[in-house]
Amino acid sequence: MTLQEMEEMMDSCVRCSKCKFIPQIAIRSKRFSHICPSIEFFNFHAYSGGGRMILANAYLKGRIELGPDALHVLYACTNCGGCEVSCKWVYDLEPNEVIHEFRVKAVECGLGPLPKHQKYIELVSRVGNPYGEATDNRSIWSNGLELNTSPDSNTVYFVGCTTAYRRPEIARATALVLSAAGVNFRVLGTDETCCGSPVYRVGDLDRAVEIMKKNITDFKKKGIKRIITSCAGCYNMFKTEYPRYVEHDLEVFHISQVLDELIDDGKLKFNKDFHVSVTYHDPCHLGRMSEPHKPYDGEKIEVISQVFIWDPPKPVRQGADGEYDASRNILQKIPGVKLVEMERIREYAYCCGAGGGVKSAFPEFALWAACERVAEAESTGADVLVSTCPFCSTNLQDAIRSRESKMRYMDLTEVVLNSLEGVE
Amino acid sequence: MLEDNVYWALEAIVGHSNITRSPAILESYAFQWGFEIESAQRGEEPSRFGQRPAAVVLPASTEEVQAIVRICNEHNVKFKAISTGMGAWAGISSPRSILIDLRRMNRIIEINAKNMYAVIEPYVTNAELQAELLKYGLMHHAQGAGPQTSPLASHTSFAGPGFTSPYTGHSDRNLLGAEWVVPNGDILRIGSFDQTGQWFSGDGPGFSLRGIMRGWLGAYGGLGVFTKAAIKLYSFPAPSDWKWEISGTIPHYDWKVPPFWKLYVPNFEEWEQFENALYELTGQDAVMMATSSSAEGLAALFTDTKMEAIEVIFAGLLAKAKRYFIVLVAAHSEREFKYRDKLVRHIIEKYDGEDLIETGDISPRPSHYAESIRNMLGGHAFRFSNCFQSTHGGMDCISLAVRIAQENRPVKEKYIDKGVIGDDRGEGIWITTYEGNHMAHLEVPTVYNAADKESCMGYAEYQNECNRVDLERALGMPFFIVGDKIHDIFGQRTMNYPRWLRRIKAAFDPNGVSDSSHYITAQGDE
Repeated sequence: MTLQEMEEMMDSCVRCSKCKFIPQIAIRSKRFSHICPSIEFFNFHAYSGGGRMILANAYLKGRIELGPDALHVLYACTNCGGCEVSCKWVYDLEPNEVIHEFRVKAVECGLGPLPKHQKYIELVSRVGNPYGEATDNRSIWSNGLELNTSPDSNTVYFVGCTTAYRRPEIARATALVLSAAGVNFRVLGTDETCCGSPVYRVGDLDRAVEIMKKNITDFKKKGIKRIITSCAGCYNMFKTEYPRYVEHDLEVFHISQVLDELIDDGKLKFNKDFHVSVTYHDPCHLGRMSEPHKPYDGEKIEVISQVFIWDPPKPVRQGADGEYDASRNILQKIPGVKLVEMERIREYAYCCGAGGGVKSAFPEFALWAACERVAEAESTGADVLVSTCPFCSTNLQDAIRSRESKMRYMDLTEVVLNSLEGVE
Repeated sequence: MLEDNVYWALEAIVGHSNITRSPAILESYAFQWGFEIESAQRGEEPSRFGQRPAAVVLPASTEEVQAIVRICNEHNVKFKAISTGMGAWAGISSPRSILIDLRRMNRIIEINAKNMYAVIEPYVTNAELQAELLKYGLMHHAQGAGPQTSPLASHTSFAGPGFTSPYTGHSDRNLLGAEWVVPNGDILRIGSFDQTGQWFSGDGPGFSLRGIMRGWLGAYGGLGVFTKAAIKLYSFPAPSDWKWEISGTIPHYDWKVPPFWKLYVPNFEEWEQFENALYELTGQDAVMMATSSSAEGLAALFTDTKMEAIEVIFAGLLAKAKRYFIVLVAAHSEREFKYRDKLVRHIIEKYDGEDLIETGDISPRPSHYAESIRNMLGGHAFRFSNCFQSTHGGMDCISLAVRIAQENRPVKEKYIDKGVIGDDRGEGIWITTYEGNHMAHLEVPTVYNAADKESCMGYAEYQNECNRVDLERALGMPFFIVGDKIHDIFGQRTMNYPRWLRRIKAAFDPNGVSDSSHYITAQGDE
């Protein structure tokens, strides 16, 4: 849907502020009642899901211009989708989709994204990753590892830019665990380039679609039929966003899903106790944001006067079908690991604060949000904060350092690796 | 526009990052649910966009609020304060106005379990307060506007009935004191606090002033700023080791229902049976919830999605649900529960009713118990069209509520026939009893389409007609009686009460800076 097509929906916002909180039924304390890091940090209503819908609506109606302040509001948002989960408890509104479409519009008008985003987009175009790292260094993470990879396998472990260049421990653990389980897979090494996530999230749709097309073509050429990612952002792109713009029949899995199945099939057996109390952070892009956009072809009909429904029923993308259980299943199967939950979990998990271009353009806000999440993790009494996304990892570890927290951060794959004797 | 010196003076109070005059940010304060009806009533194009404030400030303390109000008086700038800020009354009415957004004032100052009161700031929400009170085995009265709204706003400035009203009353009745920055910038602390340092009583020792500050319905933000409220608490009927636990995934959550809780939907053929049964039930002061709506409303309340509600409606509920009310018995002990359960069953039998839950016509889930107590059920009404508004609104006795429902039906049917409002066969009402006796509130929630001009215009016309019916047939004061014009219309037949409101307004707001658009002006509507 274009922004114009969303106008009627935006007119329907009742400014109730539910988008600022986790679903009301799930609130168990005042401290952890919020869902939106942006409104909590910036406070003005515009910085909420509903506020941004008003902003987009006002722009569409010619009431405001897309100046620096409007762009600040538009981009100081992790686009985490929390607002939409809470809103859809009652309403047929999609604030998170509006925010994304508004960013697309800003780019179309030549006003967005922000300079920091433009810089990394240029790097993605030039060197295939947003960090400006040399392509040759993409495989450094595997140096010294004896991996049982098969260059002709139709299953690829897609490492992703952040894992390859910034969180190599995740790449190593993932590859070692897959090898230990006897999974036949390959890595693309220096042939791997950005999935397009950082470009797509800030609204540069044309360039993101180019990247999507290129990646799909490359995968086809290489005979790849199955993708495994250890990055929630890459997973979300291949699984959820690519099919909106590019046809593909690739099977896409997150490493947590693969490991959960390997454990169930007896192909991965834990042989070392890991006595630790952990709490699990749901990455937005693996959880609520990974729910597929199902193609829909139907019409709105008036079933009772002024009450409209979609015929046939339109799938509601509410966060229910995100991936929440695989990581929890794994953690609960590791001998010695005790999982204690935070208050905000699953589809109403609090965002780590890094996504949507926020970490690069608003580092202070990103760190603040991560500190909020770490504070919540600390409140469980757990020793280790576990997640399964390199971007969350970086931001949450920044927060652990900033807060001088006693918690440790581990990626799910590292926890698994730690429970496998003799694999290193 | 504000002059730079005024803006800078405000900035000096709250700091650079807590004030804005950026049009983009201000615009998000110019949009309100209900503006589309008010603009239609003024004969304008219906729109949720209204007046943009000249600036928005985010104070963090009473002292900052006071300083802001003094600046407004000094420079003839109007102001309005909002907490969670939902509804037309949260908007401002003239260009030279600022909005005081109180969201940084969000502390629960005190939970006094022994004397059963809590002291809260404006941006504490009902759900947040309830979550904290449950840890003490206590609960408060939460207004029907929803769990995400401010109990302080309702207790100080609105009538505020809610789903637990039979047990907890309505907002007006639960205020034990308030800290009030009056329109000239003075600070008043009313209730027992000023005398004793404790907020256990709203009526002294010390000044009450509740009649002054809110009268019957509240001043809707038109008489200064409330920065703290002390509110009454109630025992939460659950064992001390019970905790609020949610499991499952949206939209079908599961909730651990406390022992000795049960929902009933007694359904009767005729209004007379309904009325007698309701009088008898609530007269026993034995229930947490006693509330009524239409068949469509019942379907919405006890389902999780719009499609599910529509399926239930067409599966037969429409034919089956006649005159019903929903009862929640929430007892502290098995013995108490057995008595109350017996009482409800006895009343159903006595008035030839049947329990629609027992017959299987409607099946509330555990999550609906949670939503009942968290005051979330009213929000379900938004599922039909993303929008509804209420007309009428008497807060009187059960029989008057029934009478309004009957008088309203043919009026509503006219607009249903025009196709401008939702078709609930004229049956769409919300009745809740309050204070465990003969008292009841009625309003008429009505679905319309905010994105459709004809629907907005039609609803506005319907609301105007409802007001006329209230006046001509002596059905009580409308719930949303706001602004000079409507106060004056009703004042003609109610001992000219606006004259007194205006005297209060003139005395407390000599410069007329506290936005009166949803209250009353000292000089009247010229």
